[in-house]
Amino acid sequence: MKKNLIFLAATFLFMQCSFAQLQLNGAGATFPYVLYSKWFDVYQKKTGIQFNYQSIGSGGGIKQVIEGTVDFGATDGPMNDTQLAEAKTKQGTDILHIPTVLGAVVVTYNLKENISDIKLSPEVLAKIFLGKITKWNDNAIVELNKDKVLPNKPIVVVHRSDGSGTTYIFVDYLCKVNEEWNTKVGKGTSVSWPVGLGGKGNEGVAGQIKQIDGAIGYVELAYAVKNKLNYASMKNKAGNFIKPSLESVTTAALNESKNMPSDFRVSITNADGKDSYPISGYTWLLVRKEFKDEKKGKALVEFLHWAVNDGENYAAELLYAPLPKKVSELCEKAIKTISYPGKK
Amino acid sequence: MKNFYYYYRKYKSIFIYILCGMSALIAIIPLLLIFYHTISLGIAAINWDFFTQLPKPVGESGGGLANAIVGTLILVGLGCLLGLPVGIMTGIYLAEFGKNTFGNIVRFLVDVLNGLPSIVIGVVAYSLVVIPMKHFSAYAGGVALGLLMIPTITRTTEEILKTVPRSYREAALALGITQWKTTLFVVLRTALGGIVTGVMLSIARAAGETAPLLFTALNNRFWHTSLDQPIASLTVFIYNYGVSPFEDWIAQAWAGALVLIALILLLSLAMRFATRDKYSG
Repeated sequence: MKKNLIFLAATFLFMQCSFAQLQLNGAGATFPYVLYSKWFDVYQKKTGIQFNYQSIGSGGGIKQVIEGTVDFGATDGPMNDTQLAEAKTKQGTDILHIPTVLGAVVVTYNLKENISDIKLSPEVLAKIFLGKITKWNDNAIVELNKDKVLPNKPIVVVHRSDGSGTTYIFVDYLCKVNEEWNTKVGKGTSVSWPVGLGGKGNEGVAGQIKQIDGAIGYVELAYAVKNKLNYASMKNKAGNFIKPSLESVTTAALNESKNMPSDFRVSITNADGKDSYPISGYTWLLVRKEFKDEKKGKALVEFLHWAVNDGENYAAELLYAPLPKKVSELCEKAIKTISYPGKK
Repeated sequence: MKNFYYYYRKYKSIFIYILCGMSALIAIIPLLLIFYHTISLGIAAINWDFFTQLPKPVGESGGGLANAIVGTLILVGLGCLLGLPVGIMTGIYLAEFGKNTFGNIVRFLVDVLNGLPSIVIGVVAYSLVVIPMKHFSAYAGGVALGLLMIPTITRTTEEILKTVPRSYREAALALGITQWKTTLFVVLRTALGGIVTGVMLSIARAAGETAPLLFTALNNRFWHTSLDQPIASLTVFIYNYGVSPFEDWIAQAWAGALVLIALILLLSLAMRFATRDKYSG
């Protein structure tokens, strides 16, 4: 009977083998998982090519690309020069960063008094996360929110305990706007936080915030909207208070696109422009510049062309900010440089 | 005075009896709660599609986890291919021939292996199989699960074989049956029921593991194309869907958990039934 069970399993597997199709495997960032699973589903129906994407985290994605265990990777924080050099040595090819969509990080909070739409400035935000501002009715916060009555309550900071692209975007912003943060804490996918409690994943942070009166933290925009959390408007570089939204994020990307480097490894936090939301960033697919496998190379190139054009139309309904047209065009050019055997 | 002692001892007995009964109740309450919670939340997402369809992206209703159900069965099957022979034979060695230093070392190492966190086993399988093969695969997942199963199977096999009475072995040998035949057809046959229990325990553990699969079998939103490619599993889907902010995915995660429990239960029953005979208890 034991043998029968194994035999049964074996039959299952040969059943599947008989209609094998081209399947490409990718792994990486958690943030774009929802959009990518939509894209790959639509694309499979269109062309029959299966793209299997698994969200193992940005760090994991970069690692797998370096080791060559996947056909493509994905990350929210760009690969650094050391990692690119390592990939070049191990895989014998350059790795391209192709931006796909944009994500925003929102500052979310919980006050039992149900005060919505609090306004924050970069200085105040940095001071809160440095542990310098500890009360909700601190003068610096009251100054920005004169129309509201803020309670005399301690501020409880909540941050991510795991390595994450969301953290990267958030601390990258704090580094740009606050010198003390830049020197004392720095940036990375996980940093040593001066104050606060840790939560695992967006859901962990949101869960902590929901339970603690007076808590403040940061999560992805999509997560905050889906879970109806209160979030703050941020003062941008031009001095306007901007509520995070898909439009204000795409606007930030558009305003920064003039500075887009050819390898797309760019940070757009603290963007120029009067309507730009300041805490946002790209998420990238990581692909080889030279493919050895003709079928896979061709399939991936065709997919990327589709993604940065038609694919962008699926972004908004899933709460991702689509690329500005100008950036899509830049991507097109980069995708054309990918080579594979037999490419004309 | 005699009367007092009589009642004192009688009530003490009743008191301890009730205490034990309540402890037993407390021990099964979490299990009942888990059953209740999983069934009440999971049943809603269970329908025919769940068993026959591939996963759908967010925003599209329907879709199932058929590939994950098959994937879990295949992964556990592959795990058994590695874990059963190695585990059972190591158990036989330890019980029948392992009363020496080498046996003690093996016994100790198997216990250490049993205590290793499953994520460590996953990392081992990653560096042993995934990196040399250059891609994630069902084989790598099978190796990870197989390694996990070995210690449980080994130790239960050894313990069960030790309970087979000495006289059985002596009787067989006295009849002129060779040592290997005695071990295989007398000792092992007698102990079959217990060994099956050990195997089922290890299968249940392997089927419920997420950590060793994350970096070995990865996961797959489609049917696997072959065994040297990534394959879906219920546990990784539960893990991915459970933490997502989308209601239909969370519902499917609960349904997946329910199916996983049912699958293990069915498998256990089937194996119990298949190995039930007059020799085993």
